[in-house]
This record gives sequence, C-alpha cells and structure tokens, in this order.
Amino acid sequence: MKLYDWVLSPDCYKARLLAALTGQSLTTVATDVFPGKDHLTPAFRDMNPRATLPVLVAGDLVLTEVPAILIYLGGDWGGDNATERARQAEWLTFSQRLAGTLGLARRIDMMDAPGDLAQAQRDGTRLLRQLEARLFDRQTLGHAFLTGPAPTLADIACFPDVMLAPDGGVSLAPYAAIRAWSRAIRSLPGFIEMPGIPRLHELSPEPGA
Amino acid sequence: MTDTPRTPSQGTPPQWTPVALSRDLAPATAIPVIAEGTELALWRGRSGRLAAWHDRCPHRGMRLSQGFVRDDMLSCLYHGWRYDLEGQCRKIPAHPELEPNKAICVPAWSVTEATGIIWVSETGSGAPPDTGALAPLRSLTVERSEDALRDHLGDGVVIEFDGLHLLLQGLPQGRCVLHALTGPGLDAAGQRAASHRLEALRTRFEDSEDIA
Repeated sequence: MKLYDWVLSPDCYKARLLAALTGQSLTTVATDVFPGKDHLTPAFRDMNPRATLPVLVAGDLVLTEVPAILIYLGGDWGGDNATERARQAEWLTFSQRLAGTLGLARRIDMMDAPGDLAQAQRDGTRLLRQLEARLFDRQTLGHAFLTGPAPTLADIACFPDVMLAPDGGVSLAPYAAIRAWSRAIRSLPGFIEMPGIPRLHELSPEPGA
Repeated sequence: MTDTPRTPSQGTPPQWTPVALSRDLAPATAIPVIAEGTELALWRGRSGRLAAWHDRCPHRGMRLSQGFVRDDMLSCLYHGWRYDLEGQCRKIPAHPELEPNKAICVPAWSVTEATGIIWVSETGSGAPPDTGALAPLRSLTVERSEDALRDHLGDGVVIEFDGLHLLLQGLPQGRCVLHALTGPGLDAAGQRAASHRLEALRTRFEDSEDIA
C-alpha cells in the first residue's frame, strides 16, 4: 500500500497512526504541500482531482477521503456489527467537523490559509466541549475510549486535530477528560508521533540509563 | 475584573485556590493551571506527591506543564532539564557529568490535596476549606468572570446550585472554572446526569444577558 503523505497534515497522520497501531506497513510518498505545492502538479491532480492529501493506493483502489482510508486500513477496528459501525461513523463525521474548525484554525494560523480565525476557534471550542462531555460519560462507565473498551476508528479519526488545536490558538488546558483520553491513545503499543504530538517520553527507557 | 481579591463569607481573604480535582491528575503527569492570575505547572510524581511551580523552565522558558514525569522528577520537554519535587534542578542531559548549580531552581507555590480536590496557595498559610463528604464530579470552564458568576450565585466557598456544589476558580480574560461536587454515593448514571446538568448550567450562564 502506498500513502501519499505530508508530514504536517493531521489527515495523513491519521492513516499513518492507524497503520502503525494495527501493524500494517505503508510505503509513504513524501509530498511537500506547504510551501512546495507538490499536490497541485498535473500528475497529482490526475490521481486526485481534489488535489488533497492523503491519498491511499492499494492495487486498483485509490482512496482520497479520510474516513474511507481509515475504514479500509481499520479492519477489525472498524467494528463487527451494524451498531458499532454506525457509532464509529458518527465520530468519523465529527472528526471531519474537527478538521473544518480546529484544523482550519491551525491552517489559517500556521499556513496562511484563507478564513476567519476567530470563528474557526469558536466553532472548534464548541466541538471540544462536546468531546469532553462525551469522554466524561465514558469515564463513568470505566472506559477510556470513545465507542468501546478498546480504541476504534472513532478515536484515531478525532485525535490528531484535537491534539493540534493549540497550533490554531485553542488551548486544551480546560479539558481533563480529553487529556486522559490523549494519554490512553499515546500509551497504545505501536503509537507513533508527529510534529506537535509528542509521544509519552516516560514510557521509554531513559536515554543512557 | 478577575484580579480583584474576593472576600469569602468567613471574612478572610482567599489563601487557597482550587485548581484541579484529584481524579484528573494521575500519578506521573503534569498539567497547566492558573491561580490568582499566575500560570503554574501542577504535577504529581510517581509516588503521588504533588508540586505546583511557575510554568516556566529556568533554562529557556518552555512550559514545564508540557514536560514529562519519571519517578518523582519532572523533565522539561525542550532540553530535558530535570527537577525534583522541591523544584531543584538535578540533571542537565546535555552535560551529564555536571552537578547543576543550586541556584537553578523553579519558584514553587504550596500545594495540598484534601477530599479529592487540589488547592494551591502562594503563601501556604492556613488550610484550605473543608468540603467534607462531597464527591468531586468534574471541572468545566465558563466564558464568564468569577465576579460576574458570584454576583449571580453568591459568595460562599462552596456554592450550592441546581443540586450541584460548586467551587470557583477565577481565570484571566473573563473566564472561570467551576469545580463541581455532588452529594456522596452517586452511581455512574447519577454522575452522568449531574454532568449534563452542569453543561446546561454553563449554557445558561453564557447565554444570560444578566451575567456579563
């Protein structure tokens, strides 16, 4: 499987993270979106007319929408019955809203994307509050993850844009349940980091010790 | 103005600020909090012991609340300068043979934990208020100042409202944390219901024309 990848993109990171957590290897093709604009070349547009990253290519299958890529890579993580799949679909849609608010704020703030920063921050904050309330409810049931006792596509889809919210000027300090959830995800075997989302250093042995 | 000192009902100035619920600070973690306008790194060692420091590494000014905890030491995420619970720098990884100078020390506040609530104080005099058998539920930030909320809710340390018991922690820029407690012995469904009431309360405060 080949992933057209940009290291600073939370959407690309979702695919890399899910592959890492499920033990699948991806061949990544580094694509310089900003400032290089590699995604606007005719060759790239020929593959993905929307000119967005990531793109997953598996044989004849070319996927350009993030939820579809996560469903394809997710295997068992995607749920084994209609109820669980539908629950996850709710969060896959929610994650697209996170990308359109918190993710947008980050793109405006860091990458000169057009848009109303204050509005994106306000809309993103509303979603963080919803996520926090949901994760508190989950805590009362003894669960650290969004839809079940174990992580699913729901968690992986929402995690990156939430963690990168401070890059768009939205603090995560008010959200205790989100913090606990973030630690649970970053504690998973096989977790990988991206710029702005550090691993839990305390879980690795001390260098030189 | 959130910076104005409030006078609780006992007539003494506030010495201790509630900054977090114990349940939200696991062993070997650090979080950012704000007390009386000062940004602090609140952290808990592996042993469970607490510390609250100015949220600024003496080396390069990085937020220590973004650091990581091994045993009872907090390391700065930036260059790994490592501090013990007293705030004393004990190791500089780039110079492993060096004994750090005693002057490299983070300013600390007093911190104490009682009945599931973590309190900090700059002076450390006296003891924090006793919340008795009340059970901590969750903390949530309201986009309204502590003063505006107190004008509406009243001036006690623990304010009973809509079946919830609230501790207020004023933040800069017209925001305030509500630490919500409930009566003891709520089951999971009762806790969720109380949490939803708290959410509704925030919506009401933020939508109200009377709480500016």
